[in-house]
Amino acid sequence: MKSKNLSNKILRLIKSKGFKNIELDPVLETKYILQRSGENFKRLLFSFYDLNGKELCLRPDLTISSVLRFVQNKSNKKQKVFYSGEAFRKTYQKQESIIKNQIGFEILGSKDKQKEDREIIDTSIKILKSSGFKKAVLKIGNVELFNLLINKLDVPRRWKNRLKRYYWNESYFNELLKRLETNADIDPVFVEIDKSRYLKMRKFNSSKEVAGRTYKEILDRFDMKIKDPRRSSSGKINTKIIKEFLRIKCELKNAPYILNKFFQKYELNIFVGKEFFPLNKINNKNLKIEFSASDGRDVEFYSSMIFSIEVKKGKKLKNFISGGRYDELTSNLGFRKVYAAGAAVNMAVYE
Amino acid sequence: MNKNTVNIGIPSKGRLKKDTLNVFKKKKLRIYSERGERDLFGHIKKLTNVKIIYLHARECIEQLSLGNIDIGFSGYDLFKESEINIQNKILISKKYDFGFANLVLAIPDLWLDVQTLLDLDEVADEFKKKKKRLLRVATKYPNLTRQFLYSKGVTQFQLVKSLGSTEVAPFTGTAEIISDITSTGATLKANNLRILKDGEILKSQACLMQSKLSIKKTGIKKIIRLLN
Repeated sequence: MKSKNLSNKILRLIKSKGFKNIELDPVLETKYILQRSGENFKRLLFSFYDLNGKELCLRPDLTISSVLRFVQNKSNKKQKVFYSGEAFRKTYQKQESIIKNQIGFEILGSKDKQKEDREIIDTSIKILKSSGFKKAVLKIGNVELFNLLINKLDVPRRWKNRLKRYYWNESYFNELLKRLETNADIDPVFVEIDKSRYLKMRKFNSSKEVAGRTYKEILDRFDMKIKDPRRSSSGKINTKIIKEFLRIKCELKNAPYILNKFFQKYELNIFVGKEFFPLNKINNKNLKIEFSASDGRDVEFYSSMIFSIEVKKGKKLKNFISGGRYDELTSNLGFRKVYAAGAAVNMAVYE
Repeated sequence: MNKNTVNIGIPSKGRLKKDTLNVFKKKKLRIYSERGERDLFGHIKKLTNVKIIYLHARECIEQLSLGNIDIGFSGYDLFKESEINIQNKILISKKYDFGFANLVLAIPDLWLDVQTLLDLDEVADEFKKKKKRLLRVATKYPNLTRQFLYSKGVTQFQLVKSLGSTEVAPFTGTAEIISDITSTGATLKANNLRILKDGEILKSQACLMQSKLSIKKTGIKKIIRLLN
């Protein structure tokens, strides 16, 4: 009952900020999840086939349902929406429920990124104020900073793509850094053996296909690999820079200074201004505001600003609100690009 | 089924059947069938409380989890591929020195540019971005393949279930790559496939397994001891 009253209070507050309530379909096509997250997330879905053989699933997340709704309505107008409801995911933890109660709010279809980002964070802080939690930490990060850093490093393009793609998978990302450090992804013996076959294949029709790939695609990639411009010593330096960057944590007001000093130290020619941290002035002594270069790495779809609000419950900090910008989500699902930013409130924090 | 009878599942065909029967032979346990070679039931001479049931190696695992057989012989690969609720109901009592095979990830031999999983991951990404579809992996082992690929950072793929002759999948348009069980690699090679350098998913061998539902059944311990 208490939790229901609190969630009603939060919903009223969101509504008062001009967000419009929407109902989301409880079922969606499994292919969208597969497009976004591949097979691994699919194992957590409650999926089934309809009578026409179409694979459907109970919605595992409300954000995906919401952006799908927007994109399928073919609207280009900016929309401020909110929703609440249940999402369903299988779990391998005995104590974890398969039903996740979610409240979310989003601004879709607006290119004024800074303004909308600020509004999402602002609304989140207002929710925090009305939540009854006294002490909290607001962490803000920005994936664009990481991407800028990677673009400036002296590593082959395919390595840049790898590092950006696996930023979200921390354990695998660390494994990649080890390989980058030791320069161990090309075996010269294999390259020599394959070179003669490479020359033979060059003589054939380049549009001929082997298992869905043309000879041209195969040979061009082989070419790119063996012409890897990376020096063995640079792997170590680049790994050091990346690790050091990801360790940066500081008060938000000091973030531009600390980041600029870091980029200057390694002569990377990147300048960080306040535009990376869209935040209005906040007068709240109980809210600590931090910058973190590596926060929010567990949610794959964010494309630039990421934030989270953790509240003090007992002696522990627990996640209460998290959000960010996800402009690439719809294109990853195979649709047109939609500018989108939003946040989700974790009601389980009250349990 | 008689509650006092110990039911033993043995693979019904192939090399695994032959090698399993050898285990009994070595232990001087003589198996006989009343209706000849095609009889799917058997007995052991002098052990009147034991019944032999010949089953598919996959079926052995299923029946062990249900408690319909008490002891079974099957491959470690099939055990690990089964769902977690099935694995939780089975004990591995012994790993034998036969039935060795590896579950591996194999790609078309002409994909010269792909040597490791890092390469495969890039190709999978190319499929998604340029061809607007996911890289397909044909396999009889969807659970193990999914876990392995994900643990190695490859996430943009789609599994295609295969029931047999998986090696042809890349050349018939069913899938681009495969994961399959192999002991020497000869079949893969003969079908123009190559194992990825770091593409070993699991090492497998024949195992003696016991149903956890039958642990207290009379006579089980004695037979497990005899077969060990």
